[in-house]
Amino acid sequence: MNKIIITVLGKDRPGIIASVSKSLYQMDCNLQNVNQMILQNQFAGFFIVDHPADLAIDNIHHQLEKDLEGQNLKIHADVVENKANGNNKVNEEIFLFTTIGPDQKGLVARFTEIIASYNVNVTNLTAIFKGGDEPTANIMSYQIAITSDTDQAGLFQSLRQKAAELGLDISIQHKNIFETINKI
Amino acid sequence: MFNSQEIISTIEMVKNEHLDVRAVTLGISLFDCISHDLDVFKNNIRSKIIKNASNLVSMCDAVGEKYGISVVNKRISISPVALVGAPFSASQMVEIALTLNDIAREVNIDFLGGFSALVEKGIANGDRALIEALPEALARTQRICASVNVASTRSGINMDAVLDISRAIKKAAALSAADDGLACAKLCVFANIPQDMPFMAGAYLGVGEADAVINVGVSGPGVVKKAIERGLENSPGLGLGEIAEIIKNTACKVTRVGELIGREVAKNLNIRFGVVDLSLAPTPTVGDSIGEIFQTLGLTSIGVPGSTAALAMLNDAVKKGGAFASSHVGGLSGAFIPVSEDLNIAEAAAGGYLTIEKLEAMTCVCSVGLDMVPVPGDISEETLAGIIVDEMAIGMINNKTTATRIIPVPGKKAGDKVSFGGLLGEAAIMNVPHATNRDTFLTRGGRIPAPIHSLKN
Repeated sequence: MNKIIITVLGKDRPGIIASVSKSLYQMDCNLQNVNQMILQNQFAGFFIVDHPADLAIDNIHHQLEKDLEGQNLKIHADVVENKANGNNKVNEEIFLFTTIGPDQKGLVARFTEIIASYNVNVTNLTAIFKGGDEPTANIMSYQIAITSDTDQAGLFQSLRQKAAELGLDISIQHKNIFETINKI
Repeated sequence: MFNSQEIISTIEMVKNEHLDVRAVTLGISLFDCISHDLDVFKNNIRSKIIKNASNLVSMCDAVGEKYGISVVNKRISISPVALVGAPFSASQMVEIALTLNDIAREVNIDFLGGFSALVEKGIANGDRALIEALPEALARTQRICASVNVASTRSGINMDAVLDISRAIKKAAALSAADDGLACAKLCVFANIPQDMPFMAGAYLGVGEADAVINVGVSGPGVVKKAIERGLENSPGLGLGEIAEIIKNTACKVTRVGELIGREVAKNLNIRFGVVDLSLAPTPTVGDSIGEIFQTLGLTSIGVPGSTAALAMLNDAVKKGGAFASSHVGGLSGAFIPVSEDLNIAEAAAGGYLTIEKLEAMTCVCSVGLDMVPVPGDISEETLAGIIVDEMAIGMINNKTTATRIIPVPGKKAGDKVSFGGLLGEAAIMNVPHATNRDTFLTRGGRIPAPIHSLKN
C-alpha cells in the first residue's frame, strides 16, 4: 500500500465526507487519518489514505473528481513522504503564544515572519473571537515547536517586542499548562 | 490541540484571576549538621542550606516563565531548630537565628521556617532554650519564621507551653513595638502541626521527611471566585451542591498547576517532590481574597450568620478537588482566613461584621486558625493564653490542625489601624472582650489530657 493525502475544499453542506469516503472505498483505498475543519461556511477536509499499488494517484484524483462532480468542490491529491523525510521531533517542545488586542492587517504575517526567522515551525494557528463587538477581544493563538537548537530566549523576546509595538497583550506558555488545566 | 475556550480560560485564570503558585518551599533536613560546637553547627547548616538552595529561586523563576505561571514565593523549611540545636542555650539560639537570617538573604529567600519546637507533651532543654530565644530571635531577624506545636490529638495540650509562648509573644511584640509588633507575625502556635507544610510562618521540615524535599503551596481564591461568578451568571438559580461542584472542579485545576510546576522544579533540582498543599491563600490584593468569595456566594460579608457553613462548604470542596488532582496532598490543604493578609476580611473585621469570637467559630471548619489577628497591646498574657488554648482545643478535639498567629500591637487599642507591609497586609485591631483579665485557669499549668478518641491503638 502507498500513502497519499487528499484535500477537499468547498462550501460546507451535509454529505461531503460521505461522498469522499464512499468514492475512496469503491477504489479499495483505506482511510488512515481524517481531519476536517469549518471556517465560517467553508469546509476543508484532509484524508490520508492507503491505496492499492496498481492504482495511480492521478487515477484516484480523476475518479474522485468524477464521483464528486457537481458539488463544486476543489480536490487535491499528493504523495505523503515517509516519516524519515519529515520533521525531526526529537526534543521538540510545544509552546503556545497568544496575542490579545485590536484586530489589524498583517498581524499573522508579522509574527510568523519572526518565528520563521528563528527556523521554528508553527504547528497550529487559531484565530479566536470572544464574541461581541469588543475590538480587544481578538485573540490569535500560535502553537510553535521549539527544539534544543532554537534560540528560545531570543525568539520570545522578539515576539514580546513586536507585540508591544503593535499594542497587543502577549502570553507565551508551554502547552503542558493548558493540558494540565483542561485535560483531566 | 486546544479549543478556543480552553485557551481563553487558561489565559484568563493567569492574567485576570491571579492564578499563581503561592509557594515553592524547599525542605532541608539539618540532622546531619548537629554538633555540640556552635561554630561548627553554624558552618554545617550554612553549607547544607546553600548547597541545596543556591539555585532554588532561579529555577522557580525559569519554570514559572516556561508555563507563564509565577511562583510568588520561594522559601526554605528546615528541621526544628529546637531538635537540631538541642545542646545550645537561649543566647546561642539567637545566634543561630541570625545565621539563618544571613543564609536566607544569601540565597535570596524572603522567609525561612523551622525555628521551631514540638512541645505538645513536654518541654526538653532545646525547646526551652528556643522558646526563651524567640522574642529576640524574631525581633532581630527579618526572614526567620518560627512555630511551636503545643497540642495534639494524641498528646493533649501542654498548658505550660501555652503560657510560655504567650509570654514570648508579648515580649516579641514589645521588642518590635516600633513596627507594631511585627515579630509576632512570624510566629505560629499549633495544634497537630503538619510536617510538610509549605506555607509560612508555620513551615518546618518534619523528622520523618527526606534529606531534601520540594513542597508546593497552591492558591487561587480569585480563580474560585470567578468560577462561581461565571456559574451564577449562566445559571442564577444554582443550588449549593452545584456551587460546591464548581469549587471542587476549580480546586482540581489549580492543584494540577501546582503539582506540574513543583514536580518540574524538583526534577530540575534533582530533589524529591513531596506534597501539594492545596490551600486557598489570599493576599491583600483586590480579587485575590477569600472574603470576596463569601460575598459572591451571597453573604453580606464574611462573619455574618451563614459564614461558618459557607466556609465549611468551601474548605471541603477545595480538599475534594485537590485530592482528586494529586495523590500527594499534604500540609494544611483548605481555606485560610488570615485577617490582615486578606483585604476583604480585614474590612469585615473593621466594619464590625467579623468578631474574634466568630472568627474562632469559623476556624472549626477551615484549615488553619486565628491567623494574622492584631489585638490590643495591653492584652494580658493570661487572656492571650486563653485565646491560644481555645484554638488548640478545637484542633485537639476535632483531630485537625489549628494555629494562632496573634499580634498584640503595643500602645494601640481596638479599632486602631496597623500595617505590617507587603503580603502581611494591614487591618484594624480586633476587639478582644475582657482582654486584661488574669484568670487563674490559664496559669494552673500542666497538661490538658488527650481526648478519648486519641485512644486508637
